[in-house]
Amino acid sequence: MIKIQKENFDLEKEIDAIKFKHANVGAVSTFIGYVRNINNSKKVISIDLEVYQDMAHKSLEKICKDANKKWSLIDSLVIHRYGQLEINEKIVLVATFSIHRDDSIASCNYIIDFLKKDAPFWKKEFYNENFTWL
Amino acid sequence: MKIKYFAWLKNITHTDCENIIDSSITDINSLKKFLCNKYPKLNSYIIKEDIIQIAVNLEYISNNCKLSSNDEIALFPPVSGG
Repeated sequence: MIKIQKENFDLEKEIDAIKFKHANVGAVSTFIGYVRNINNSKKVISIDLEVYQDMAHKSLEKICKDANKKWSLIDSLVIHRYGQLEINEKIVLVATFSIHRDDSIASCNYIIDFLKKDAPFWKKEFYNENFTWL
Repeated sequence: MKIKYFAWLKNITHTDCENIIDSSITDINSLKKFLCNKYPKLNSYIIKEDIIQIAVNLEYISNNCKLSSNDEIALFPPVSGG
């Protein structure tokens, strides 16, 4: 499942909503990306995330489909936020569900790696007096 | 065709989306040429440094390809999500 949204999300609720559909899930691996206060030695105040919605959806679906071909996955979830985000806020969640941990761990790494490389999101980082596009 | 611009490219084009109808645009290369004429500042990023990524109908393209009037083309800098 792919969700691209402005709103924050509750990690446990999101995981449970999928986990409860599959009694055969024995392993869930997650990656959560946060807005941090220092980047490239600069004090960050906030970020603004821009997204190309339709393409991001398609791109993330393809990445998850590819992961499903490589590993034995029962389900996967990617939530990526956009808009103005403050320090400590969650940016992204990748969660993979499988019978055994090897598949969930490896596929979770794969999805976040390709998300960072291919998914059309852009970060604008705000500092005290200026900003920069990353 | 519909052209979309993202991130700092919008500072150059002063728009995030426009419809372009021009008979000289038949493929990606002719579109690049058209846009560099319309927005001279794009030239250094599209031609010289080649850092702009292009998607046609939501798919990355890396080589020249034919375009049709109902295509949606997106131009954007390297992505930075996650």
